[in-house]
Amino acid sequence: MIAIRRDPAAALLAVVAAAGIALALLYPLGAVMREAVFDDRGVTDIAPITRIFSFPVPRQIILNTLLMGSLAGALGTVLGFCFALATTRAARGPVRTLLHYSALLPLVAPPFALALSTIFLFGRQGLVTRGLFGLEADPYGLSGLLFVQTITFFPVAYLIFDALMRHLDPALEEAALNLGASRGRIMRTVVIPLLRPGFAASFLIIFVESLADLANPLLIGGDFNVLASSAYLAIIGEFDTRKAVAFSVVLMLPSLIAYFAQRIWVGESSVVTVTGKPSTGRARTLEARFRLALLALTLAVAGLVLLLYLAVVAGAFTKLLGIDNTVTLDNFRNVLGGIGTRAMTDTTFLSAIAAPIAALSGLLVAYLVVRTRVPGRIAFDYLLMLGAAAPGIVLGLGILLAFNHPPLLFTGSAAIFVIAFVLRTAPVSLRSCVAALLQIDPSLEQASANLGAGAATTFRRITLPLVRRALLSGAIFSFTRNMTTLSTIALLVTPNWRIMTAQILNEIDAQRLGNGAAYSCILIAIVLVTIVVLERLFGRAAVEVGA
Amino acid sequence: MTGFLALRGLEKRFPNGTFAVAGVDLDVAEGELVALLGPSGCGKTTTLRCIAGFEDPTAGTIELAGRRIDTLPPNRRAATMVFQGYALFPHLSVWENVAYGLRVRRVDAGSLRDRVAAALALVGLAGLGDRRPEQLSGGQQQRVALARALVLEPRLLLFDEPLSNLDAKLREQMRLEIRALQQRAGITSVYVTHDQAEAMTLSDRIAVMSEGRIVQLGTPRQIYDEPATRFVADFIGHANFVSGIVRGILGPGSLDVEVLGRVRLVSAAAATYREGDAVVVLIRPEEVRLVTDDRDAVPATVLRVGFLGSSAIYQLQLAGDEVLATVPMERGVSLHSQGSRVGVLVSDAALRAFAG
Repeated sequence: MIAIRRDPAAALLAVVAAAGIALALLYPLGAVMREAVFDDRGVTDIAPITRIFSFPVPRQIILNTLLMGSLAGALGTVLGFCFALATTRAARGPVRTLLHYSALLPLVAPPFALALSTIFLFGRQGLVTRGLFGLEADPYGLSGLLFVQTITFFPVAYLIFDALMRHLDPALEEAALNLGASRGRIMRTVVIPLLRPGFAASFLIIFVESLADLANPLLIGGDFNVLASSAYLAIIGEFDTRKAVAFSVVLMLPSLIAYFAQRIWVGESSVVTVTGKPSTGRARTLEARFRLALLALTLAVAGLVLLLYLAVVAGAFTKLLGIDNTVTLDNFRNVLGGIGTRAMTDTTFLSAIAAPIAALSGLLVAYLVVRTRVPGRIAFDYLLMLGAAAPGIVLGLGILLAFNHPPLLFTGSAAIFVIAFVLRTAPVSLRSCVAALLQIDPSLEQASANLGAGAATTFRRITLPLVRRALLSGAIFSFTRNMTTLSTIALLVTPNWRIMTAQILNEIDAQRLGNGAAYSCILIAIVLVTIVVLERLFGRAAVEVGA
Repeated sequence: MTGFLALRGLEKRFPNGTFAVAGVDLDVAEGELVALLGPSGCGKTTTLRCIAGFEDPTAGTIELAGRRIDTLPPNRRAATMVFQGYALFPHLSVWENVAYGLRVRRVDAGSLRDRVAAALALVGLAGLGDRRPEQLSGGQQQRVALARALVLEPRLLLFDEPLSNLDAKLREQMRLEIRALQQRAGITSVYVTHDQAEAMTLSDRIAVMSEGRIVQLGTPRQIYDEPATRFVADFIGHANFVSGIVRGILGPGSLDVEVLGRVRLVSAAAATYREGDAVVVLIRPEEVRLVTDDRDAVPATVLRVGFLGSSAIYQLQLAGDEVLATVPMERGVSLHSQGSRVGVLVSDAALRAFAG
């Protein structure tokens, strides 16, 4: 009561946020649950779900999914840890820069690019496997899938460990050294125990990402079926919505458990936010032998990453890399002459609309959670996070089911993509804005109120400029994710709007790998150019407000 | 009489039942500066934040110039605050920080320029308007915070330990500057501090707080010379407490007490005393004189001695009490050495008894 009387703006914000979350997020997820429990005549029927558990083939799919998620989580975490160790302690100068950027590259590339170049390089006709070594390799299956997913997702672990290691107080290690511990022992008894939340967080986040991944299982999974691809194929191949829903519900369970376990155990401390706090710069070295081994490993992986992305470029400019290596622009001609140009503009347009909405939604909910006293405000945080916790294919399926009939008939419209993009990416803006707001001393906002400014003025003139960085990184992340996601939009595409990732999938399905590579290059170029332009426009440290 | 600022029965109670502020009544006259002084956790900052509107009191009222302000939102109270950490907006220049409140009030450009320039000149920062807060020293940041508050010509200025982040020398200088600015502008002020020297130099009156209540309200001189309780005596300045026994009751606030070897006429804090009661007697260290050849003096042994420059501090063993004495230094006069026997003289008027 007092809260509402004293702070009507917060109350209004809470109402808007509640309405938005209920309509755009809970309603679609509820539609999935309804479809799982009731058949089309409204009779309770959970046979599609029980069928998954009672037959060996779908049971194997569940086991495959959990196996893939756990192994990808473990491998990605270890690799990310090694990279962070290398960039913070082993490498200096250009080597450090090389490792850093090669670890970030997979973040801005579409998921297919790696699967595609893996096929180019290590496939049956692979440049490396067959061309160099004359091997009969088969990348299709669990090993190829894990290879691609590890490269795709280890950057997440790298960012987590990099942030944690920079904030480790060097005095702790100096104290251990001073007490006589060897460097190896310090690593074992001080550094790794302190990083334990980082290990938990990155394993669980990669696990969730791996489960949600649709593109790689489709492209390189071969006969190794997982829940996400099974749900997709149930709709696309068999038009069996209830089967897809059943797979989705089963997929959602481990995803949500892992995601919220990560939130609850690990909490805000491990969430990676780019705060730009510099390390203290004191030497924190490793034992020489270990340092060399670490550098060798990480440089080899960095080389591999670069090689894989070069292969995409090479694939885009040759007839069929590995088989006919004639240099050509045909692939680009095919893409840009066909629907490619429309797919480019459509995808960029929709991503660009959704990105600021996602960033702002995240900020508003973050403000609600951190700065107001609205009762139950923490629930908004957890609810909005569902958009990132639920696998993209499930979210897409829910949106498809929910907005399929009047008055909420959005099927095939731009709105449906924007809703999906915002739901999927607002949680990241939420996390970085929560972290940014927690860093702003409340006395700044109190000072503004004390000087006579109302809540809206204070938000606009004080809070907003101070969280600008977090907002910008939220928008950049959102744009990048929107451009490169497949799982969220796979079930939503219609001829009205062309989405690049869906087009890439089509091209690869039709064995036009060169076209797929050309698409991927264009996509990466759009993302990189946009990031650079946004950083130039809004990324400057100083900003004049109201002068 | 109702003050320009009037707190009536102010209470702030937390959901767990503990009180941060447990019933504060305070009247501040127009143009007066009252310090809220006390140890951490005594409720002084919470009281100030209730006045500013950052805390909602659970009971009581706050009036400013005859109007209730406790029902107003914080941005409508005309009670401008100087924050402990200054709370300067890091993304705005010094000029824009000072102009902020005027812009919010939509003051026209011309008079805004004049007022900001005047405020910066007033605090000695003319010409530094283009700087960012982080480019200024701590003392300069403090002045910006002051200018930002003063430029609004508020009815009430609130200070939340504004000098606690400065080093000792600067703190002493800023005390005097703040006092001069406040007096020149004649702005009614409430000043929270835990530093008794700061409260003494700045205030017209001091409200000493403990456990959510005001235990004594008075001029610095009253608080120092006639502390109402042993707590106040201990908190303000340095204090020795020695034991005594009541030998006669001469009237309210006046007792015969057997203390330091003989019966002396001393002032006493309000309480009920009976003959034969044990009391504690306050002696300020600077009231203790050391002599070598006075037969009336109380004999004592020097336990320790420390040289402070302008004075020396002695730890003395009297019959049953240990007493600290600060003695002004005179050039050429040597210190009493450790272990030497000295005589202690204390004037009766300097003593004050509290119920034991």
